Amino acid sequence: MTGSYSAVITVVSLLFAAWALICAASNRRPTLLLLAAGVLLEALLLGFVVEGVVQMAESAGQLARAEFVGYLLACLAIPPLAFYWGSGEKSRSGTLVIALAFLITPVMILRVQQVWEAGSGG
Amino acid sequence: MADPAVDPGARSGPAPTGQGFGRVLVAIYGIFALAATSRSAVQLATKFSEAPLAYLLSAFAAVVYIVATISLARGDAASRRLATLAISIELVGVLIVGAASVLSPDVFRHPTVWTGFGSGYGLVPLALPFVGLWWLRHTR
Repeated sequence: MTGSYSAVITVVSLLFAAWALICAASNRRPTLLLLAAGVLLEALLLGFVVEGVVQMAESAGQLARAEFVGYLLACLAIPPLAFYWGSGEKSRSGTLVIALAFLITPVMILRVQQVWEAGSGG
Repeated sequence: MADPAVDPGARSGPAPTGQGFGRVLVAIYGIFALAATSRSAVQLATKFSEAPLAYLLSAFAAVVYIVATISLARGDAASRRLATLAISIELVGVLIVGAASVLSPDVFRHPTVWTGFGSGYGLVPLALPFVGLWWLRHTR
């Protein structure tokens, strides 16, 4: 849960966020390339969620399971929601909405890890 | 040169609250609706008896954020009034809960989204209602 895979997602997401912020700053509406980045991130997140559920099934600790799964599902939900909402706006604001999603994803991963560490003792 | 279709000054009626900068504002409100709802759902389901007041407050904040998100996104006349009401309640809530949690921290050991003026969320909960009310005025 705290391994290199989640670190990769965090870095990728932050790079996408920086890119989306630059796009928004240069007044660009959401592009297909940005959507491709979102799809890639979503695929990475899917792997993260599967890893999390498998590790949860194997753990016998005092893990707050409902909270853990809730945060995992929220991770998965954020990029599609952001693209649905952001693509409806053909201006830089739409791009900014997508940048927000890329910025929030690392925070959500951090929260997943906090819940995991609180429940498994490390 | 400004595109007349997106220039709020070119409209006769009120500008939609869910477009332009409003898109971003609705997204931020949506994030808080999601965060507050999931937090309060866990709190109410697993440890309600520990701190009923704090957890009911969390749930109340969640409802306020949900109403604000949806009404800002819709943006018709009735939604605009509802958004103004919800964001005003949000402003009062974050100020009262924030002040109370600073003055008597013992009562607020169990955190809510508004504890310490939202310091657990980078003080965004304190800034958000001001921005929201400004945006409602701006698009009127």
